Amino acid sequence: MNGMADGLVIAGGMVLLALLCWPRHGLVGRWLAARRLARRVRREDAIKHILKREVNGAEATVDGLAGHLQMPTRQVLGLLEDLEHRGLISFEGGRLHLRSAGRDLALHLIRAHRLWESYLSEETGVAEVQWHRQAERKEHLLTPQEADALAARLGHPTLDPHGDVIPAPGQPVPGDVGLPLNAADVNQPLRITHVEDEPPAVYAQLTAQGIRPGMRGLLIEKLPHRLRFWVDGNEHVLAPLVAHNISVETITDCAPQDLLDEEYLSGLDQGQRGKVLGLSPACRGPERRRLLDLGFVPGTEVFAEMKSPGGDPTAYRVRGALIALRKEQAGLVRISSLRPATP
Amino acid sequence: MNTSPAHPAADRILQSARQLRERLSGDLHEQVVEAIYADAARLAGRSVASPGQGALPTWERAVDRFVTSRIWGFPIMLALFTLMFWLTISGANVPSGLLSDLFIGRIYPVLSEGAIRLGTPWWLKGVVVDGMYLATAWVVSVMLPPMAIFFPLFTLLEDLGYLPRVAFNLDLPFKKAGAHGKQAMSTMMGFGCNAAGVIATRIIDSPRERLIAILTNNFALCNGRWPTQFLMATLFVGSLVPAHLAGLASAGAVTAVAALGVLITFAVAWGLSRTVLKGQVSTFSLELPPYRPPQIWRTLYTSLIDRTLFVLWRAVVFALPAGAVIWISANLSVGGTSLAEHLIGWLDPVGVVLGLNGVILLAYIVAIPANEIVIPTVLMLTVLSARLSGVGEGAGVMFELESPASLKQVLETGGWTALTGINLMLFSLLHNPCSTTIYTIYKETGSVKWTAVATLLPVVLGFLITFLVALCWRGW
Amino acid sequence: MNPSLASTPPRQACAECDVYRAAQLKKLGVNVETWDFVVALAGNPNTGKSTVFNALTGLRQHTGNWPGKTVARAEGGFEYRDQRYKLVDLPGTYSLLSTSLDEQIARDFLLFGRPDVCVVVADATRLERNLNLALQVLEITDRAVLCLNLIDEAGRRGITVDDRQLSRDLGVPVVPCAARQGQGLPELLAAVAEVADGRRLCRPHRLSQEPPALQSALRELVAQIESTYPDLPNARWVALRLLGGDEHVAQALRSGELAELYTRTQPPAASK
Ligand SMILES: Nc1nc2c(ncn2[C@@H]2O[C@H](COP(=O)(O)OP(=O)(O)OP(=O)(O)O)[C@@H](O)[C@H]2O)c(=O)[nH]1
Ligand SMILES: [Mg+2]
Repeated sequence: MNGMADGLVIAGGMVLLALLCWPRHGLVGRWLAARRLARRVRREDAIKHILKREVNGAEATVDGLAGHLQMPTRQVLGLLEDLEHRGLISFEGGRLHLRSAGRDLALHLIRAHRLWESYLSEETGVAEVQWHRQAERKEHLLTPQEADALAARLGHPTLDPHGDVIPAPGQPVPGDVGLPLNAADVNQPLRITHVEDEPPAVYAQLTAQGIRPGMRGLLIEKLPHRLRFWVDGNEHVLAPLVAHNISVETITDCAPQDLLDEEYLSGLDQGQRGKVLGLSPACRGPERRRLLDLGFVPGTEVFAEMKSPGGDPTAYRVRGALIALRKEQAGLVRISSLRPATP
Repeated sequence: MNTSPAHPAADRILQSARQLRERLSGDLHEQVVEAIYADAARLAGRSVASPGQGALPTWERAVDRFVTSRIWGFPIMLALFTLMFWLTISGANVPSGLLSDLFIGRIYPVLSEGAIRLGTPWWLKGVVVDGMYLATAWVVSVMLPPMAIFFPLFTLLEDLGYLPRVAFNLDLPFKKAGAHGKQAMSTMMGFGCNAAGVIATRIIDSPRERLIAILTNNFALCNGRWPTQFLMATLFVGSLVPAHLAGLASAGAVTAVAALGVLITFAVAWGLSRTVLKGQVSTFSLELPPYRPPQIWRTLYTSLIDRTLFVLWRAVVFALPAGAVIWISANLSVGGTSLAEHLIGWLDPVGVVLGLNGVILLAYIVAIPANEIVIPTVLMLTVLSARLSGVGEGAGVMFELESPASLKQVLETGGWTALTGINLMLFSLLHNPCSTTIYTIYKETGSVKWTAVATLLPVVLGFLITFLVALCWRGW
Repeated sequence: MNPSLASTPPRQACAECDVYRAAQLKKLGVNVETWDFVVALAGNPNTGKSTVFNALTGLRQHTGNWPGKTVARAEGGFEYRDQRYKLVDLPGTYSLLSTSLDEQIARDFLLFGRPDVCVVVADATRLERNLNLALQVLEITDRAVLCLNLIDEAGRRGITVDDRQLSRDLGVPVVPCAARQGQGLPELLAAVAEVADGRRLCRPHRLSQEPPALQSALRELVAQIESTYPDLPNARWVALRLLGGDEHVAQALRSGELAELYTRTQPPAASK
């Protein structure tokens, strides 16, 4: 009787022990692995932060790092010691510098991050607001070989969906170009160079409004508490804090009025005619290539021939063929409308 | 990447390609396509002369406006399909009767007697003549006439260029359900054969939406199931209304079931894209071809040869062994009752709850390889289980049938009601795909998991919906 | 320009004459264990590729009036003047430049399937957009024939195409056809045979309208490619794809497959 109970206890204990301590897959093993990964992620995030400060002409500070990583300064100091010990940075006299191993690592991280965002944007149905978060995780898991394979698969893109340069292996990463939208002049033609993806809430708002790098627009009005921003045929009212996340550069090859006159294919009513000016930068990857292959190239005449019973999609006559597009896609084709052809 | 050391020159070229690429500004693809189109326009301008600007005939535009109009678009779609079903049902009645009269009324007795006169053992005669021959004869007379009318009609519609307009009209609901508008095309190909419909989903280039299209293709009635629909609609729905409206009512019922299939497609797609297949709706671009006058005779000929006879052949191949199995199970006694009766007895309680019966469920189990043999099996088993006297000749033997009315009588003696007929139509819409389709789904998805989902989901839905209908019909 | 030349009698009289055809063409259906030449049917969706395929092989590939009817490669054979041909029907494509999944089968076969002749089936009623693909095919290969299909429909709409002018401009044979009625197929066969056995040399049109920056990049890369692989007939296309970051082409270059693929000057006789 007793013997059996003992046996059960021992067997149970052994099962428990195995569950806990099984190499790699046991609970302990898993916990250790997760902890190792978390530490690595923190190290790599720190390195990336230092590089980003550096290319933008600023110097990383311990306090800035603590803020970025949301860690107490004491722990950051420990982290920096670790990084120095690994030969990734030099930390002397309170100044942070990347060593070449550290720089390579940081460049790889940035490359992997931006490639993964490109991948998510072009080849998956993952929602735009998720891209950054997922890439933030994935960048730590991709090896340089995997990043290269990914780049090859995507056709070696040079810009990520936020308009940032994807550095080629071994190439330096350029700093952010442009100035915040708040600093731009009213009525000056602008091109969006970058849409910052932190903090996520602001980014989600900009995404929802359809504001993408590469688009052209101008400030209609600038008040202390709001900005009226005309971009790609739509007017957006932005809080200054939100506008700060948009970087722009001034352009000279078009007049303000041209920008205000811009129209989109989706605005073409049934029976109206227009001429394609180009595709919006928000149209990327396979979607962009498909529209081009179908004949939506600059200079092409389009005619809105019929709408489906629900009002969407619309069929357009393009170079002799009748092509149906959904409203979202037609909204990516810039046109100038033409007078109805004489009957 | 593993660059083989054997081609250092290749690596150098790739290296400089990369450098040049980084120096180029703008979208390369865009520049190239623009350049090609510029060339194409120049060349076409030199050799094409079109005094009328190659404009479409105005009637074509008018037709297009009409079939996609806000008011008429959907009614026309429904009307066209109903018309097709009506032509099929009313056209197939007479030849079906003639065929069964020939095969079962005339040839069968001759074969039967011949076998007896030759002194064939009773079991051999049973398996071959009463089992295999009769099952095949049934398949031919039930399937051939409707298919020989339906397929050519559908092919004519396809050659005319109407199907892409349907896809155009249905894109908005598909989009709302999180699916791709081109799924309408694969669904319509599924009206011919679900395996072909699953392959046709390749026109959808987004993996997520393509998977949705594959998983829901089975909700398009296929050739193996149309005859069940036509027959049940004729027998049980047509008889609910005055005689002169019978044809229209049955055609309407078939349209309703087909439309229900489309609605379920929307619902399932909606559910999938909000749970396991989350993601953004991808892009949609569809070229609408010009209307082309079909070559009527050639279409009739090829769709008869290619599709009708092909489908019939497949049905016969499956009917032969099935006929033998049914006969054997009906004549193999276990404890005084035949095996078939045992099985039917077990399945009957479930069947009754679903508004069906044990015979139908057993028929669907026998018909897993091919849906085409459901109706013959149902008929054979009904005779057996109802122990009809005066009709048929013995256990597992199919019986004579000259008119739909007598067929209905047989079924009613077997305990069938309008509920059974309607629920059979529903269950025929909602059950597992046939073996060929399941295999095709596996090949196209490469995943056991998704194949299992595609197989089981319709059955579960079928049980659920027939159960609910039965519940409502019986007034709770 | 004399458009009335386009689709008018002298040649067409032959098309109606059964003796002419029976003596030359033998449809082989799927029986193609051996062949002398491989012929690919490329073209935009819904231009009648499968109809041409059926007419030449006697097979019954499904056809239908909507783009995307064919989604898999189909093979058949025919014999013409004692030469055996394997004919490959491909799904329609708008372009060889993109990477979309639904166009992959056709793209891969045209780029890496080594067809001896590529027949581009174009829709005569909308030639301009069909030339988009045709011009891309001509960049890849110099053994091509343009089948100007649906010429009957073009006629009904009052569109005439001067096939001789087009043939001069493109540098490849251009044959007006109405495949569904069997018109023009004897001429198509003759053109394919001439190109296949090298009796007719094509001088395909090459693109010229790229922006200057792209052109200079192309020149640089082409020079480098040509110095390494002097026999490559389409260095410009390879350069273009490498610049476009086409991993498939890069891989073929790395593995040496590309050089092998195109240095073949003689068509393989009765290959397997
Ligand atoms: N009037 C006319 N119609 C034709 C001709 N050739 C083909 N067609 C019709 O055009 C439609 C398309 O033909 P297909 O052969 O299926 O076209 P395809 O190029 O194979 O199309 P995909 O497989 O979708 O790329 C069919 O309805 C044919 O009957 C022709 O010469 N004249
Ligand atoms: Mg085809």
